[in-house]
Amino acid sequence: MRLVGYMFSQTFRSIWRNKGSSFLSALTTGFALFLLGISFLVSVNLGFMYQMAETQMEIQAYMDKEATWTQLAGAVSQIREIPGVSEVKYVSKEDALEELREMFKDKASVLDSLEEDNPLPPNVRIKTVGAEHIPDVVEALQSLDIVDDVMYQEEVSRRLVQIGKAVQYLSLGGMLVVGLVSVMVIANSIRLAIDARRQEIGIMKLVGATDGFVLMPFLLEGVLLGLLGSVIGTGFAMGGYNWVSVKIAEFIPFMPIVGLDQESIWNMFGIMALTGVMVGLTGSAFSVRRHLRV
Amino acid sequence: MISLRNVSKVYNGNVKALDRVSLNIDKGEFVFIVGTSGAGKSTLIKMIYREETPSSGQVFVLGKDLSKMRRREVPYLRRRIGVVFQDFKLLEDKNAWENVAFALEVTGTPKREVNRRVTQVLNLVGLLDRRDAFPNELSGGEQQRIAIARALVRNPDILLADEPSGNLDPKTAMEIFNTLERANIYGTTVVVATHAHDIVDSLRKRVVELRGGTLVRDERRGAYNH
Repeated sequence: MRLVGYMFSQTFRSIWRNKGSSFLSALTTGFALFLLGISFLVSVNLGFMYQMAETQMEIQAYMDKEATWTQLAGAVSQIREIPGVSEVKYVSKEDALEELREMFKDKASVLDSLEEDNPLPPNVRIKTVGAEHIPDVVEALQSLDIVDDVMYQEEVSRRLVQIGKAVQYLSLGGMLVVGLVSVMVIANSIRLAIDARRQEIGIMKLVGATDGFVLMPFLLEGVLLGLLGSVIGTGFAMGGYNWVSVKIAEFIPFMPIVGLDQESIWNMFGIMALTGVMVGLTGSAFSVRRHLRV
Repeated sequence: MISLRNVSKVYNGNVKALDRVSLNIDKGEFVFIVGTSGAGKSTLIKMIYREETPSSGQVFVLGKDLSKMRRREVPYLRRRIGVVFQDFKLLEDKNAWENVAFALEVTGTPKREVNRRVTQVLNLVGLLDRRDAFPNELSGGEQQRIAIARALVRNPDILLADEPSGNLDPKTAMEIFNTLERANIYGTTVVVATHAHDIVDSLRKRVVELRGGTLVRDERRGAYNH
């Protein structure tokens, strides 16, 4: 217990002694984590848009006009069984006409002539669990005899899948690059800390301090710098995000922006803190191995 | 207590610091290692606290074969050996008391025990009244006595000193050796590498002489020169 207290006090003293480099490495880590936070927020928003688009995205299967009620009912239950299908809605010829009437409210009279001999086919509207299921579902629908034609927003769904993947790869790549930079900056800061205490370390080893005891404060220092960086990064990311959301709301009012609630802030901070700790630990472990031949 | 068997140490492939040295030192002995600079005195001292390992031969200290000792066992060996250097190696930002206490703190000794032992050992070296002074406020002789106090605070089995009076005037040097002798009287085995002719001659302890890495003399109650 006394050893632990001693190590913590050593760590804080060391951070304080090298205020400049400690602050710099926390700031750099903060910046790296800020980028991580931004990509996190961007993917949250894209995910949100993706979801919105997905819920609005449906496949329309036009049925054989001559199909009987029983055949149609059978087809609907068959469609429900297709993997990836989340919602199936049957729209009869009459409903379809009603919808059309709604759409052309003011010119509804032109539709009156259709009342006698409704040319609209009954159709089934299908939603999928995710955009990636659309091609498979479409294929399954086309193989049904009763289905005349299938319409869906193929281009939109493909684009959404692509954008989603691109953002994921991009944020992952960006995170790796900035993460690497922070590891190096922290490693440098720890190296300075080690240099500043070289004589002390020599004496510690001379009087029989264990390797773990000698190197632990430096690992701890790296972890603390990483944590400090995550606080800075979260602050910047939140500030930046709020600023950007205000600007977007001003200039592109129809663009949906996810508001930051307590939970997503904590989620973001959690991810950042974890990453910060890992970055700090990696950086300090690197320096300790290299410069503290214990 | 300390036993070297045919110990050789070669640096950089050709510089022989020690050449087949065999030496036994018993518990409670006081031994001078003498010889010119580069004779291998420091290397021999370093072998004992395992700062160096032999290129060939064996070193036994406190019943352990140091060449077979694992790295994580070394700290526990060092807790039983005190070491003193020519340049004192005190921490400038700690006062006398803290410098001595440091040796106990880094091994997790309880506070009360630290207080008791530091008081005791500062008393032994006669510097309890200078406990709050920082190294730059102490004379060379006082700094070395603090360093000795740090080496002794754990009540070690062995006290090693490498040129402990190298930076000190003759009168102060004598004080230092008196302090080492006092530690020896309390039962600690003392091994001192030194150039101090007068002191070696006046104290008449066991003298081991090295020349070019070879042990050339081992004499009871010897003098610096033959």
